[in-house]
Amino acid sequence: MATDLLNILPQLIVLVTAVVVLCLEMARRPLAGLWFLIVGMAATTGVAVDMLGTETTAFSTTFRVDALSLWAAVMLSPATILFALLARAELKGQAREGTVYSLLVFATLGAMILAGSGDVMFIVLGILIGTLAGMAMAAHPRNDSSSEGAMKYFIYGSVAGAIMLFGLTYWVGLTGTTLLSELNNPYLSPFIVMFGFITLLAGIGYAASLFPFHFWTPDTFEGAPVSVAAYLSVVPKVGALFALAQVVRGLPVSVVDWPLILSVLAVLSMTFGNVVALWQDNVIRLLAYSTIAQSGYFLLGVIGMGQSGLAVDSLVVFGIAYAVMNTGAFAITLAEGTQLADFKGMGRRRPWQAVGMTIFLFSLVGMPPLAGFAGKFLLFGTAIESGYSWLAVIAILNSAISLAVYMRIVVPMFFEEDKEEQVEPYAPGISFVWISTFILTVVVGIGVQWFLT
Amino acid sequence: MDFSSIPLLTITTFLPIVGALVVMVLRPKKTETAYGIGIAITALTLLFTILIWVRGFGPGLSQIEEFSWIPSIGIAYRLGIDGISFPLVLLTALLFLSALIFSAKIKENANIFIQLVLMLETACLGVFLSLDLFLFYVFFEITLVGMYFVIAKWGHEHRKKAALTFFIYTLVGSLFLLLAFLALYLFSDPNTFDMRQLIANPTLTGLAATLTFWGLFIAFAIKTPLFPFHTWLPLAHTEAPAAGSAILAGVLLKLGTYGFIRFPLLMTPDAFREFAPYVIIIAVFTALYGAFVALAQTDIKRMVAYTSVNHMGYLVFGVAIAAVTTTSSGMIALDGAVLQMISHGVVTGVLFLLIGALQDRTQTRDMAEMNGLLKAYPILGWLFIVAAFASLGLPGLAHFPAEFQIFLGGFDVYPVAVGIIIIGLPLTAALYLRAIQKVFLGTLPEGFSGVSDLNQRELWAIVPLIAVTVIIGVYPNSLLSLIHATTNFFGL
Repeated sequence: MATDLLNILPQLIVLVTAVVVLCLEMARRPLAGLWFLIVGMAATTGVAVDMLGTETTAFSTTFRVDALSLWAAVMLSPATILFALLARAELKGQAREGTVYSLLVFATLGAMILAGSGDVMFIVLGILIGTLAGMAMAAHPRNDSSSEGAMKYFIYGSVAGAIMLFGLTYWVGLTGTTLLSELNNPYLSPFIVMFGFITLLAGIGYAASLFPFHFWTPDTFEGAPVSVAAYLSVVPKVGALFALAQVVRGLPVSVVDWPLILSVLAVLSMTFGNVVALWQDNVIRLLAYSTIAQSGYFLLGVIGMGQSGLAVDSLVVFGIAYAVMNTGAFAITLAEGTQLADFKGMGRRRPWQAVGMTIFLFSLVGMPPLAGFAGKFLLFGTAIESGYSWLAVIAILNSAISLAVYMRIVVPMFFEEDKEEQVEPYAPGISFVWISTFILTVVVGIGVQWFLT
Repeated sequence: MDFSSIPLLTITTFLPIVGALVVMVLRPKKTETAYGIGIAITALTLLFTILIWVRGFGPGLSQIEEFSWIPSIGIAYRLGIDGISFPLVLLTALLFLSALIFSAKIKENANIFIQLVLMLETACLGVFLSLDLFLFYVFFEITLVGMYFVIAKWGHEHRKKAALTFFIYTLVGSLFLLLAFLALYLFSDPNTFDMRQLIANPTLTGLAATLTFWGLFIAFAIKTPLFPFHTWLPLAHTEAPAAGSAILAGVLLKLGTYGFIRFPLLMTPDAFREFAPYVIIIAVFTALYGAFVALAQTDIKRMVAYTSVNHMGYLVFGVAIAAVTTTSSGMIALDGAVLQMISHGVVTGVLFLLIGALQDRTQTRDMAEMNGLLKAYPILGWLFIVAAFASLGLPGLAHFPAEFQIFLGGFDVYPVAVGIIIIGLPLTAALYLRAIQKVFLGTLPEGFSGVSDLNQRELWAIVPLIAVTVIIGVYPNSLLSLIHATTNFFGL
């Protein structure tokens, strides 16, 4: 028991942080809550970094302490600090400001539980925590569009979660246990395993905004505070996709051809996300469709689980890269405005921030030597090694389309003039976030070695 | 420190970007200061290139500089040089110096322009010097970003469209390159991104080799470009500022042709041999297509852009001949192809600079609107005539020895193909003579009042390139001996 608790120490610290931050909000001390969040998440990061390399399980193999769950803690905890800083810049002084900090931590806990799932109940639990907290944050502004977005998020989440729960009962019925490892049995009935897997995809696809479970994404992002949209685009997604990796690593391909199913989903997500993003004039909606496309790229890594030595590395590196570059892009959008027209003439007005945004967007395309390139490089390698070269080709064509998408933000920044307006400096929180993610986008790209297991 | 232990290649590669950082930090108020820094840095880079030559290199890849980078997957920072890459490094250093001297007239956002050009130079040098697939790819992609901004910010009327077309089109190419590189890595044993290992023992066979070959082929065919992947080229060349066009034609196209030699020819030789007949058909068609379309142009810059397509056709033809045969005729053709890269870089670079100077004076690129300009601008006119004669393959100037060797080598293997491709020569002769006649001969229009002839700055940029054209034409062995040592070493 004691070793079990030590093994899930990062998750425990997150839980304690969430509760304390909530108590501080009850005492109407949002700033203290923010500081506690920073300390708690930093501590989680430290503990998780220290534990890297551990390969074990906790609570009778229901929770896995491995590269995926530890790296999820290492990347999501500091990311939560960055999102909290963005939220502070956006929501400072508003009523219920502190609840957002607490919900951020709760949702991160959900994602971290997902990333280490060794048991279907943890998947259900993780998705539920994430959905409830995310829904409450998305509804924070209490206006029409945010309520609509939050409602969509909630209803999609409930339905997808219910379908998943229903299908997973078949898995439990088949194996007599809720453990994922019991599915590693080539003599299971393919039909029932397939049924359970499809319903599982509904739940995970919803949390990760995979096509065709993505419909809530653009509306929820548009209505939610920008910092919350940024959060929803990163943390629940990484958690859900790592959970999917945990499921498929023990699922025999002979029973259900999950790599093929996932590769079809990957193609649909990438292509749909990138193509629809081409038509968006609202930067948040554009980034929402881009996040659907990026989920598709993630699947290339999941497909390699158990088939390619690069799979876990590619998921970890792309996860980190995605977290930093997407957070940076959202941070600058938060400061500049959510319409494409707001970016006009930014190259002249704020040259450094414009260069920063360009770097984030080029990293999302996968330009070397940036973080996104390192991630995609490993993802493509994983796909080829797993025998899915055709999928890598489609992913590559999608990268070319995505360049056209992101250039729609880059072009007005540098090549369109805008009336001279008063230039106000960014809020310190936003400056901190974009500068630190900017540095990381470059450093992660060049220093990939540090993130390989 | 001992001369042989100085990391000359690394210094040469990163010197330009250090210069860019200097400009970024100092932010000189006067454009003269900024260009002074930029030109000094590019001149210093050229000096270091010459030091590399002085230090000497063997026929194989030598002067290796290697540092660990991502050891888990066999990636390292590896630079090295041989007789194929060195002439290109020299060309890059020379052409960037000329281009930067020539652009010193650009006053708008001069600091950023200089930074981008210097970044581009580092990227181009890095591509030619890299001995690691990953590193090569990093530099290869950075060239796209740099060139995109140069065209989109400082180009002519349709610059934004041209820049975006260039960017997306060539990105598709480089992404295929990425796939091919991953295949080379995954099928090598032990897995490595080290180009020396991949060249020394090409392990790919069967379907994997075929797919990798075609992946490499598409990537480099877009960059070179070959028909039908050439459509980005006329637009980008025409819309780019003069110095940008010179760099684009002179150096960036060579990334593709250099790639053809370094990757498919050396790393998937069997697949290349198998598919060489198709490549030859494409190359012959490209050469003729480029010549015919150039003949139909009225815009002089567009015309020169299409002659590049023609010259690249000859070049790839030479490489394909080398892939088919291991006899001495293959080596002759390959030597010619490598020399063609340098000749084309210098000649087309100088042509674009001259057209830039012409456009500054006449405000048009339409040949129908220009007449008798030789009287108004004798120096510009005569230099253009020399460069045009070089481009159409006149003996004594740079293209002749290169094309002669390509055709000579090819004649032994595919005489019919040579018979067809050689039609390109009279065509380019015709189109250049027609252009000279229209633009420079005839009578000046009534009441012509032009600005003066080439000024000091333009002469400093253009005359050295013309001199190199003559040197290569008269004494091609200066480079051919280096090139031949290497092609001989690889047994091509």
